[in-house]
Amino acid sequence: MKNLTGILLAVTLVVACTKKEAGQTADVQAQSTTGTKLTNNELKIGISQEFENFNPLIASMVATTYMQRMVNRTLVVIDADGKWVPQLAKSIPTLENGGAKVVKLGGKEKLQATWEILDNAVWGDGTPITCEDFALSVKVASSPNVGVGEKESFTQVEKIESVDKNPKKCLFTYEKAKWDFYQLGNFYPLPKQLEEAVFKKFGAQKEGYEKNSLYSKDPTNVGLFNGPYVISEMQLGDHVTFTPNPKFYGVQPHIKKIIVKLIPNTGTLEANLRSGTIDLISSLGLALDQALAFDKKVKSEKLGYEVLFQPSTVYEHIDLNLDNPFLKDVRVRKALNYAINKEDLVNALFEGKQQPAIHSITPRDPWFTADPAKVTVYKYNKREAERLLDEAGWKVGADGIRMKDGKRLSFTVMTTAGNKTRELVQVYLQNQWKQVGIEVNAKNEPARVFFGETTKKRAFDSMALFAWVSSPENTPKSTFTSKNIPTAKNGWSGQNYMGWSNPQVDKTLEALDTEMKPEKRIEMVHEVLKAYTDEVPVLPLYYRSDVAVIPTQLKGYRLTGHQFPETNVVENWNLE
Amino acid sequence: MSETVNTPPSATDLKSIETSQTFFQIVYSQFKEHTAAVIGAYLIVFFMLVAILAPAIEWATGTDSDSQNVFNRYKPPFTTVVAPQDVRENAIQTFIRTNPEEATKIQTALLAKNLVQPVRPEDALYDWVNLEKSKALETIQTIDTSKKAELIKMINNFQSFHLFGTDELGRDVLMRLVYGTRVSIGVGVLVAIASAVIGLIIGALAGYYGGIIDTVLMRVTDSLLSLPILPVLVVIAAIDLKKVLGGLVAVSQNLFGDAGGNLAQEFVNNIFSGGKESIYKLVFILCLFSWMTVARLIRGAILSLREREFILASKTLGATDYTIIVRHMFPNVVAPLLVSVTLGVGDSILFEAALSYLGLGIQPPMPSWGNMLFNAQELIYQAPFLAVLPGILIFLVVVSFNFLGDGLQDAIDPKTVRR
Amino acid sequence: MTTYILRRIVQTLMVIVILSYVCFSLMTLMPGDPVELMISANPKITQEDVIRLRAFYGLDQPTYVRYFNWVGEIAKGDLGYSRTYRIPVTEMMGPSLQATFVLSMGSLIFSILVGIPLGIYCALKPNSKVDYIVNIFNFGGISIPSFFLGIVLIIIFSVVLGWLPAGGYQTTGMQYDNLFIELLDKAKYLILPIISLSVQSIGRFSRFSRSAMVEAMRNDFIRTARAKGMSEQVVIWKHGFRNALIPLITIVAISFSSVFSGALITESLFAYPGVGRLIYTSIIGNDFNVAMISFIISIAMVLIMNLVADLLYGAADPRISYK
Repeated sequence: MKNLTGILLAVTLVVACTKKEAGQTADVQAQSTTGTKLTNNELKIGISQEFENFNPLIASMVATTYMQRMVNRTLVVIDADGKWVPQLAKSIPTLENGGAKVVKLGGKEKLQATWEILDNAVWGDGTPITCEDFALSVKVASSPNVGVGEKESFTQVEKIESVDKNPKKCLFTYEKAKWDFYQLGNFYPLPKQLEEAVFKKFGAQKEGYEKNSLYSKDPTNVGLFNGPYVISEMQLGDHVTFTPNPKFYGVQPHIKKIIVKLIPNTGTLEANLRSGTIDLISSLGLALDQALAFDKKVKSEKLGYEVLFQPSTVYEHIDLNLDNPFLKDVRVRKALNYAINKEDLVNALFEGKQQPAIHSITPRDPWFTADPAKVTVYKYNKREAERLLDEAGWKVGADGIRMKDGKRLSFTVMTTAGNKTRELVQVYLQNQWKQVGIEVNAKNEPARVFFGETTKKRAFDSMALFAWVSSPENTPKSTFTSKNIPTAKNGWSGQNYMGWSNPQVDKTLEALDTEMKPEKRIEMVHEVLKAYTDEVPVLPLYYRSDVAVIPTQLKGYRLTGHQFPETNVVENWNLE
Repeated sequence: MSETVNTPPSATDLKSIETSQTFFQIVYSQFKEHTAAVIGAYLIVFFMLVAILAPAIEWATGTDSDSQNVFNRYKPPFTTVVAPQDVRENAIQTFIRTNPEEATKIQTALLAKNLVQPVRPEDALYDWVNLEKSKALETIQTIDTSKKAELIKMINNFQSFHLFGTDELGRDVLMRLVYGTRVSIGVGVLVAIASAVIGLIIGALAGYYGGIIDTVLMRVTDSLLSLPILPVLVVIAAIDLKKVLGGLVAVSQNLFGDAGGNLAQEFVNNIFSGGKESIYKLVFILCLFSWMTVARLIRGAILSLREREFILASKTLGATDYTIIVRHMFPNVVAPLLVSVTLGVGDSILFEAALSYLGLGIQPPMPSWGNMLFNAQELIYQAPFLAVLPGILIFLVVVSFNFLGDGLQDAIDPKTVRR
Repeated sequence: MTTYILRRIVQTLMVIVILSYVCFSLMTLMPGDPVELMISANPKITQEDVIRLRAFYGLDQPTYVRYFNWVGEIAKGDLGYSRTYRIPVTEMMGPSLQATFVLSMGSLIFSILVGIPLGIYCALKPNSKVDYIVNIFNFGGISIPSFFLGIVLIIIFSVVLGWLPAGGYQTTGMQYDNLFIELLDKAKYLILPIISLSVQSIGRFSRFSRSAMVEAMRNDFIRTARAKGMSEQVVIWKHGFRNALIPLITIVAISFSSVFSGALITESLFAYPGVGRLIYTSIIGNDFNVAMISFIISIAMVLIMNLVADLLYGAADPRISYK
């Protein structure tokens, strides 16, 4: 007994003593971790979000989408420049090149397009990818027993058949003649040679296919994948190991092994990076504040990392509740908009690494415009804001806040509690509005209450600060049209939380879906944006940026800033 | 009588014997021997004072716990922050707008005494506000105005010293910690007292009446004890209180008509005003899961008291159950209850911290040590101070309460071995 | 004895059923549902999709109907399907339970091995310097928030000193040549989580065993045994320790109840893929099936351990009999 205590005390002493030396060893340590030479043998990527089983029809988490692109490819995809490019397909069929045409079938206007799959595109087990693999996806997705998230992206294709006796030349018949028929970025094929039997056997049971799909029963089966890598090991909640797929149709990837590791606590991501547990922090990792701080450290201590910032399509804005009696007056809304100095905001809070927004469409979208002739641009103008408020009858009161009919011009801006960036922005805006005599109080709620109740049921009294995730050329129908104003009657469906109702916008957006001419579409979108910026149902703030930390020696890595992540070109990554 | 035979004790002796008989004197003298407990008690008094005097401290130091400054985020300890020009000019602009006559008066005075040399006369106040702090204060002292105090305060606000630096929104960490003391200790004490009351009532009912009441109450107690506390707390913390209370309003409307409904609605509105609902919610859910140990303790004590003669005596004298329980039994369980409350405070503070650390406890902007730690952990390498300070405070307070509880237990219960 | 055990088991089962209903309804009170979490990640999902998915998962039905459907599935031996990870719950729980078992057993054994001997040593040398220091350590251990300790440990041992990994459960992608290397590698990842989990229970065990032992050594039979001329070792271990065992069994059994609770924060902090973290993510992600199964497992564990503790009393103390 005596010995044991003695040993324990000794250990405690040793630990206590070594703590004192900690300061001296710190510098040595920092050098040794970043000085490690990485090779193409292995790359370890850190993510901070949970991932799930890889079945491409069922998976919906962002982290899974991130990794899915390493093992599975689709006919088309948006590249880092924001353009649609073919992937499994030889080319993108269009009305102009004759690959697609509008036809009348059974009295309805439909669209048919011919997609030709790359000749050397095969599954990991060598089976060629054919039209039947895509047809199987449609069949599975259409089943009422399978919980497919984004069902419409599959079921918009009614029929798939091979033409000219060529199993790789497929004629897709679309349900409706919509212009965006070629945007099949999430339309993954399923390996017929493996999954058809499962679906036949279990497809009749509820959730039977999900439970028995090889993606969950045998996730390392090479036949399930067609991308540059295959999964060689997977542990949900911890990590996935990828190794090159020798049967990949494109160039062979450089890196021999990629491990994606889940580190749920973003606070320890940096510790993991610097202790060498991971080599790279993906775009699903650091918060902007952390990235900015780490960027400074990298520069001052000359660490072997590079912090990348890429403006994304995530649109931060404030939805105004147009039912609020003060906000009914468009002059008040305009004044709110004029009083925000967005340039200053992004510089002060984000060191210019995120871009100010003027409306819902991002500068990298072909639909974007900043032309004052087409949309109303609100440049920071305190005097104009004050003029508009005076005009609307709001006079500055004794405490500097404007009054009208005995009521103070006071609003409440709500957002998700604990989101530091948004809280910062909130404070900043409060200050700016105070200067023109508008009082704004902050009230924050946990994300699940905020999104699950407050915005969904339009229970915010005046302002809600949050973001929409968008993608290039995405119709704003669900957030703009009056049909999508959530009410008790429609079961709180729709995302027009502002309660914005403009019959012309409704009509234009309805027509947009079937407009085949790109120039005409741009005109229509600009028309909608004109109304959007004129009537100010929303205060645009800024676009978020994706951030990643990569080792300086990694080449070919490029953040995309949209829903198709950087893993789309994983085969180009090179460490040597 | 024997007293007449023996020498009667002197008056002073008698007095000392009599006074030493009082229970609290014994407890106090025993307690004093437990050094750690005494230190703990002093620390608790200190933190309680800080909590109570938080507004006074805020006033005395002139730093506001909520005033944010986005240009001075993550400043290290011992930093002095000076407000930029535009902030100063905006402040003086507001002042001029709200007190036009007084402003003109000051302006003339400034120019007359040639204290500032502006390009244009109407810029005099703007020039003054941009002066260095000591100079500006010195200048204003020489001018006769009714708004002197306001202007001095304005100048003072432009320069702030941050002993512990600033946090992610540029707020003063020291003041956040001071107000955090209020929330953390407040929640801890409130929960401990509330759960002691609940435990006292349930334990007394179960112990005194026995039979089916005892069985039911003790089954509930045991079941709650077997719930995995943290996961359940996570679930409850995630519940939307508004939804539940909305149901409550509807129920009371049904039961008591419109008047009841309105009353309940008012109560609910009260809870949600001032952004304090997260505190109420936290206190409520922590109470829900911390009364069980007290209930068991009290039940045991009451069970043994029930059989004692003095209880039997008062029963035969026709005392009501209420009188017996409250008048005769409760005084006998005060001591163990006190110990359990003291220890309970520490536990509650730890639970508050854990839940806030998971982002489910006290919601920002209200500071609590737990949520300060939660906020700090993202940038733990850039600003370790932000995480270390609240952590140490949680530790200090909890350890103090534990030592205090231990000391009290030793002092109150003669059976325990003294250290 | 048998009827006693049977009665306790039936009681335990009833408690589990009631508590599981309570947990189930609590979870339905949380705002948002799994479908909403899916929408938030997907801009292209349509309103029709939402309604369809809600009906598909039965989320449009009242709580009790959902509860009974769920119980029905369990009765059929189907633990359900994890909506977060999209695999059957059985496959999800296995590895996590194993990981948590290793971690919490490691921590429990470590705490027992350190805490109880420390406590007994202090009980035999009351008021000594060691006793005093250990007492301070015990209180410190009980009072330090485990997440704070964890953060401090990570900063010291992984970031500054670089001795130990900051998180995970094994070196990812490492090929193990033999079992020994594998164990060594995994052990490295266990050290920090085990320390941060154990500090509290060491404090508790040591305090408890000290007072239990002091209490036991004051009994009359100890004096009798000494008077009979028995050696001090025999007196301490055969007479003293045996009597101190009963309260120790209770505290060890009770500490099982906090296995999941304690692991929840520690596992999240150290990125350790165990049940504790699984519970947390499943609650936050509204993954009913996983959360409910985890609840039931942990409730059952507490109740069973209470039963085991009661039975062990009998073994440790012949004076106790079961009716």
